[in-house]
Amino acid sequence: MTIDGQSVTVPPGTLIVEAAKNVGVEIPVFCYHHKLDPVGACRLCLVDIAPGPPRPQTACTTPVAPNMVIKTQSAMAVQARAEILEFELVNHPLDCPVCDKGGECPLQDFTFRHGYPTSRIDGPRLHFKKPIPLSANIALDRERCVLCYRCTRYYDEIAWEQELTTGQRGVQSFITSQFDQPLTSIFSGNIIDLCPVGALTSRVWRFESRPWDMTQTGSVCSKCAVGCSVTLWQRRGQLVRVTSRENDDIDEGWICDRGRFDYTDVNDPKRLRVPVVKGAGSTWNTAIDALAAGIKGKGPKLGISLPQDLTNEEAFLFRRLLDGPLKGAKVKMHGRTALPEPDPNQLLIKEIDDARVIVVVASDTEKDVPVVNLRIKKAVSKRGAQLIVVHPDGVDLDRNPHTVHVRNAAGSAAAEVEKLASHELLKSPGGPVAILFGDGHGSEDAADLAAACAELASKVGGKVMPLYRATNERGALDAGVAGWDKLDGVQALLSWGPPPTAGIPSSVKFLATWDHLQRPDHSRAAVVLPATTFAEQQGSYTNLEGRVQFLRPPIPVAEPLKESWEVLTELAVALGLELGYTGIFAVQRDAAQTLPGLADLAEPPSPTPVPTPVLIGPAHP
Amino acid sequence: MTVLSEHILEEIRDLPSKFPQPRSAVMPALDLAQEELGHLTPEAMTEVAHELQLDPGYVEGVATFYTLFHLAPTGKHRFYVCTNLSCMLRGADDVVARLKSEIGVHEPGEVSKDGLFSYEEVECLGACEYAPMCRVDHAYHYDLTPDSIARLVAERRNGGSAVAAPKKARAPRKRKADA
Ligand code: SF4
Ligand code: SF4
Ligand code: FES
Ligand code: FES
Repeated sequence: MTIDGQSVTVPPGTLIVEAAKNVGVEIPVFCYHHKLDPVGACRLCLVDIAPGPPRPQTACTTPVAPNMVIKTQSAMAVQARAEILEFELVNHPLDCPVCDKGGECPLQDFTFRHGYPTSRIDGPRLHFKKPIPLSANIALDRERCVLCYRCTRYYDEIAWEQELTTGQRGVQSFITSQFDQPLTSIFSGNIIDLCPVGALTSRVWRFESRPWDMTQTGSVCSKCAVGCSVTLWQRRGQLVRVTSRENDDIDEGWICDRGRFDYTDVNDPKRLRVPVVKGAGSTWNTAIDALAAGIKGKGPKLGISLPQDLTNEEAFLFRRLLDGPLKGAKVKMHGRTALPEPDPNQLLIKEIDDARVIVVVASDTEKDVPVVNLRIKKAVSKRGAQLIVVHPDGVDLDRNPHTVHVRNAAGSAAAEVEKLASHELLKSPGGPVAILFGDGHGSEDAADLAAACAELASKVGGKVMPLYRATNERGALDAGVAGWDKLDGVQALLSWGPPPTAGIPSSVKFLATWDHLQRPDHSRAAVVLPATTFAEQQGSYTNLEGRVQFLRPPIPVAEPLKESWEVLTELAVALGLELGYTGIFAVQRDAAQTLPGLADLAEPPSPTPVPTPVLIGPAHP
Repeated sequence: MTVLSEHILEEIRDLPSKFPQPRSAVMPALDLAQEELGHLTPEAMTEVAHELQLDPGYVEGVATFYTLFHLAPTGKHRFYVCTNLSCMLRGADDVVARLKSEIGVHEPGEVSKDGLFSYEEVECLGACEYAPMCRVDHAYHYDLTPDSIARLVAERRNGGSAVAAPKKARAPRKRKADA
């Protein structure tokens, strides 16, 4: 087939919009989105197709056929698109100067590239109250909406929820949340990225900056073990926005609301920036010496609480300390599951797509591993996989009427999994089986459950995936620092990150904290060290499927803040262990050589990430 | 305590099995709810959603799409007067004007003071050969004139019981095109 005279070869069934991307021809779209089912609602993608009826047709719903001749620039097609755009603007408020989409708005861009330079529309426009808060995080402007239904289709098809719908019909339609109640889905923020106009905008980022005032850096989400790809947007040393960055191996362009909106602590004006010893600001040297003096030689009387988003590099350095001067200390990692180390041949996230039967055990995936939950939904609703859930309570995967839900008594998941081998759906699954299991937040014996799942997998021909929760639980397991010890009775405590969930044990006489925010517990601390965040530090995380991914910090580490590898190296010296690292590369090289799980650290990306300037153009072509 | 009575909820629960896509049951279910309550309240829509295992938002979207689902109280008798092309050419406007003055309302959806009447202007009801026409509750009335519509009002005002809307919920029926 040919598109504008260029010949293209694509697999049968490919839609014309997609084929056009291969040859760099832009066909403007509003309602079409490559992750949603095509609907042909907006008519913006009209092109001229021969052979075919002598009128423009939608490129987003028409699959290619052999020898098709497609013209996007024929007089008919050009006029058709210009007129559709003119119609789109009939009710549009044209308030670009106060619209957060300005500068990355497909409606602006397409109107420039495909529309008429002036408008003939001069009648009254539809008016709505604006902005309408759809939730604490999202604002809706119904006047700007072009009714492409990307947002409601996403909710329905991808997130399996319908709390966002269309009210009324025809020209009076508008987007609305159910009974005007706030949206509650943990996946709500994706509609902001999807909306091709400024109808859905972030309230957290409201009126913060224009796209061309920011730099964007591709990084990794630090909020859970899924490890979605994100774009971090920086302006004047502040992290102002987090958006999704499509990575088909992991997230397919979706992130959850924790990843998207939970970042303002980075810019907190009250952040800790100077070390504090006994309530007074001090130098790093004094503080590190004081810390070393307090924790040295304590053996099992020392407790260490690690943050969930500890990087691989930090975990490795910690390992060195635990092997040396801090030997015997009790270690507890925040938010980790009780799950054991994974099977080397474990299931990958993208392999969930091909599963014929998916078994989810002892995990409410929506909360534990949000974006993996979306992948399961996709496999079920778009690829026809069967779903079995073993969980004591209802979970959101039950929204599929065909989900088989085995309600087990808490603690008996392993026994239920053993019984599953003879289940109807698993007798001849007709393809790979994916078995995902959590630890029931402590209610299940994780080791038993892991063994039962592994056995089921071998019986029915499947692979397992342990659903770790803490961001870098995998990396910490690889480095052997994902401790699970009780901290009761320790005399000295190094609390890194948020304080231990069980609180600071009363037995603690020496408390040191290393944190980026001020917290009430710090008043008891002899030493407080300021910490960097995911937006400043270099390093890597291993996600729950074992993929090592590197952070690319958009914000420089501002003195007196120090990178964590440097702090740990100095602490080692103060404790009498000479590590001799002068940069994070050396740490990564050593870690790659000593720890097989961290072998990927041997090839870190460039240490000074080059922030990419924003190209003016559609954010989501 | 539910706003819909148990036998209606029962009927609604039985609906999904009749459709390949369980959610298709939402229209007949809303119909049943409206038969019972006269109009659809958020609570009723939430109960329908609950029985069909859908989100209330989806049910609300469907309910607001169709003019024959009422979201606010209506009169005991509802006049659906067709004002589409054939009826309009044959005098629907005069019929509507007379109806409004007879029942004493100013706009579609408004309920008469005595609570007995309300009217909607609807699109073609598929009876153009008898234009102008209207539907009153569940019956069609043809070849209307301002006088005949006044008579329809008067009959209902006086002889209430003979023409009252059916009380008992009926089985879902095939719906005429709404649009
Ligand atoms: S709010 Fe945005 S995404 Fe939703 S229908 Fe309107 S334009 Fe489309
Ligand atoms: S699923 Fe996890 S990694 Fe992905 S955006 Fe949410 S918190 Fe971040
Ligand atoms: S109709 Fe094709 S993109 Fe909307
Ligand atoms: S136009 Fe009134 S019934 Fe057809």
